Amino acid sequence: MLRFAASAVAVFISFQLVVSQTSGPTQASSGQELLVIRGAKIYPVSGPAIERGILTVRGGKIEAVGSESKVAVPKGARVMDATGKVIIPGIVDTHSHIGIGSRPSVPANEDVSEGTGPIQPALRALDAIYPGDPGIRMALSGGVTTANIMPGSGNVMGGQTAYVKLRGRTIDEMLIPGTIGGLKMANGENPKHYGRENQAPMTRMEITALARKEFTKAQEYKRKWEEYNKKVAAGDKDAKAPDRDLELEPVVQVLEGTRIVQHHTHRADDIMTVVRLSEEFHFRVVIHHGSEAYKVADELAKRKIPVTLTIVDSPGGKLEATQAEFEAAAILDKAGVKIAVNTDDFINSSRFLLREAALTIRGGLSEATALRALTINAAEMLDLQNHVGTLEPGKDADFVVLSGNPFSVYTKVLETWIEGEKVFDRSRPEDLRYATGGFQIANRYPKLMQSSMKGAQ
Amino acid sequence: MRRTLICALLTMSSAAFGQKIAVAGEKLYTAGGDHQDGKPGVVLIEDGKVIGIAEGNRIPDGYQRIEAAYVTPGLIDAKTTAGISGEYNIPADQDQDEETDPNTADVRAFDSFNPSERLIEYINSYGVTTIQVAPGLANPVAGQAAIFKTRGPSSALMTADDMAVKPISAVVFDLGESPKQVYGKRNKPPSTRMMTAEIIRKALLDAQAYQKKWEDWNKSDKKDPAKQPASDLKLESVSRVLSGELPAIINAYREDDIATALRLAREFKLKPVISSATEGYLMRDALKTSGASVLAGPTLQRLDGLETMNATLENAALMADVGIPLALMTGYESYVPKNRVLLFEAGVAAANGLGFERTLRATTIDSARILGIADRVGSLEKGKDADVVLYDGDPFEYTSHVTAVLVNGKITYQASGGK
Repeated sequence: MLRFAASAVAVFISFQLVVSQTSGPTQASSGQELLVIRGAKIYPVSGPAIERGILTVRGGKIEAVGSESKVAVPKGARVMDATGKVIIPGIVDTHSHIGIGSRPSVPANEDVSEGTGPIQPALRALDAIYPGDPGIRMALSGGVTTANIMPGSGNVMGGQTAYVKLRGRTIDEMLIPGTIGGLKMANGENPKHYGRENQAPMTRMEITALARKEFTKAQEYKRKWEEYNKKVAAGDKDAKAPDRDLELEPVVQVLEGTRIVQHHTHRADDIMTVVRLSEEFHFRVVIHHGSEAYKVADELAKRKIPVTLTIVDSPGGKLEATQAEFEAAAILDKAGVKIAVNTDDFINSSRFLLREAALTIRGGLSEATALRALTINAAEMLDLQNHVGTLEPGKDADFVVLSGNPFSVYTKVLETWIEGEKVFDRSRPEDLRYATGGFQIANRYPKLMQSSMKGAQ
Repeated sequence: MRRTLICALLTMSSAAFGQKIAVAGEKLYTAGGDHQDGKPGVVLIEDGKVIGIAEGNRIPDGYQRIEAAYVTPGLIDAKTTAGISGEYNIPADQDQDEETDPNTADVRAFDSFNPSERLIEYINSYGVTTIQVAPGLANPVAGQAAIFKTRGPSSALMTADDMAVKPISAVVFDLGESPKQVYGKRNKPPSTRMMTAEIIRKALLDAQAYQKKWEDWNKSDKKDPAKQPASDLKLESVSRVLSGELPAIINAYREDDIATALRLAREFKLKPVISSATEGYLMRDALKTSGASVLAGPTLQRLDGLETMNATLENAALMADVGIPLALMTGYESYVPKNRVLLFEAGVAAANGLGFERTLRATTIDSARILGIADRVGSLEKGKDADVVLYDGDPFEYTSHVTAVLVNGKITYQASGGK
């Protein structure tokens, strides 16, 4: 039903191409039909690669994964041959701004950082996510199926992040049921921008003081509610409920451990500040970017604090990113730190998330760990490991069909599937334009687009 | 960490090498000469120059041997701001855009060039041995580019003069969003594309008049010193483009801006070099007819503005398919990462229609020809500079490594084992 309502809304979406595609017929294993994909080399991530594998999907979930010789194909199943191809789980991007910073990047689309005050936990990314952002379809063309869409890093507390699947025409269709998202926080250079206007924070001291103050307020708020709940439980009918505070509620969820702090931080000392705060207030945290995390790998390992890295082509662009290294992932992994790799799209295009992971292999990481960094490790950082991140029976049927080795420059993402539905298909000209480029202009130059299709497969 | 380690190793190893070095490649790509690219071969180097190619893998006596799975000529980044736009990205190290006058024809990238900029070492460690450094994107008439060799982590400190291949290599003009954004927000011209074109047109017209004045004076019998035209460095700079002495590099992204570039070139009989050319694939027939060369911009770059919305990974291939002379460039990055890496851009181009051989040419010999430096660099042939890159696998694969880089026959970068 939601879908019909959404298609009416879609008429008003300016990117007609987006609409015509997403509203077109999708190949789905609808209802209880059994879809069988056979012949591909499958990396389930939960176990070793299967040379000639079989993947069966029903009702949007994975039913079976195994060797072609061991999994029987039931009668009546729709069978797709994927011989010579490679299948990996749908990629989980732990740090993205697609939808919230829609393309093109013009002020009208700029909804990433609410630069009017450094403490903004009440804000919800989901209120600014534009499902028609071409960036979302570009991400699908890169094999990304799940994303943590976050507010920006201009604030100490930037707001509540949204855990979404990259499908659907409304944010409700995108949100993963049962999730509340994380809390975006940031320290280091970015929140200091207030200082340029003589506002707080101007220093790292104040950034941390502001965070500490907010957590302290939340502790107090939490205590008030606990007292109230205790009175109610004891049968006190006169107990007066504290006023609700939308700013502190998500911070209380952080204190209670149901909402993970997703923390932008680069420099080693800033990372240790995050560690300090997390111990002071006992919250769960994921280090994002972590340009210098490798310098404090042992500190993170012993506290089991995971790191999601943004891999950039060259160091610099800002002081706190000058020590970034492709070797960081390998060093952290060796020290026992759980790592993921993210896009920070728009910093890196989501089309290239496999590439960013390949660059960590260049820096010494094993292929197996690089693949985990894109899938199950990332899912765990979002508490989504029971739904996505591996190809196992019962999990969401989110997977990517590749033309070859996941980490080769020559490999293409051929298909992307979310919950048994094909959401990207490189053989469709309009989908291809999101993978290679030119989606906006493709209908003006159909001939040229056709001629460039020859390299598509 | 990696850098310091390698630095230490390198200072020792490059000192250990004598003047005669032989670089053996299981797959040697010379990008010129008699050697069949992709076959085994040995580059023989003496006193910084290639003295010959030996087929197979046997090395004559008296040479220090280094070897790798793949060997190519040093890569040429056809247009970058590395060296004038530093990695810290703070006012102290940003010297690429003189945003005080939309016509800065007299400024020279050479005078901003910081030989010790770490980004130069960084790109050297990814095989880039020659760079054309050009002023940034802000000014319709942006100034004069220069061509340098790169330093590596193990190179000695050098001056810009030591590194220069061509102290003045081109005059750069900028179209599109940047000039109007920079000046428009201050209510100064240009705030529209119309005015950007007008500023360039006027600069070219003024330079024509200036040329004429000097010609007339030079032709005059007496050459009366009292009547000698006053020197004007801006006009002189632009007139060197009119005379064909220097190429005009016109930076344009959108198809209409490319059309403006070609229109200006026709009007003033310039042989244009179009840089970035994001929508060049939409303009490839016009580009081909005009005789323009293209320095194709990076496709891994952020698609920040409207003018890059139609960027495609196939741009280079689509232009090369119709025979447009093509080089790859990395241009300018305003944030993180501070610099694109030509080797990575080449990988994307190679995998998206350009293919291995054409990509190699677009980053070596074809680039050298467009830049007018093919007599010295761009291929591994007798008499050319010994700029050589060694790799442990397909150069364009993400997971391969550059194992060593030589500039002028000296090792500027060498990976530590097992990296």
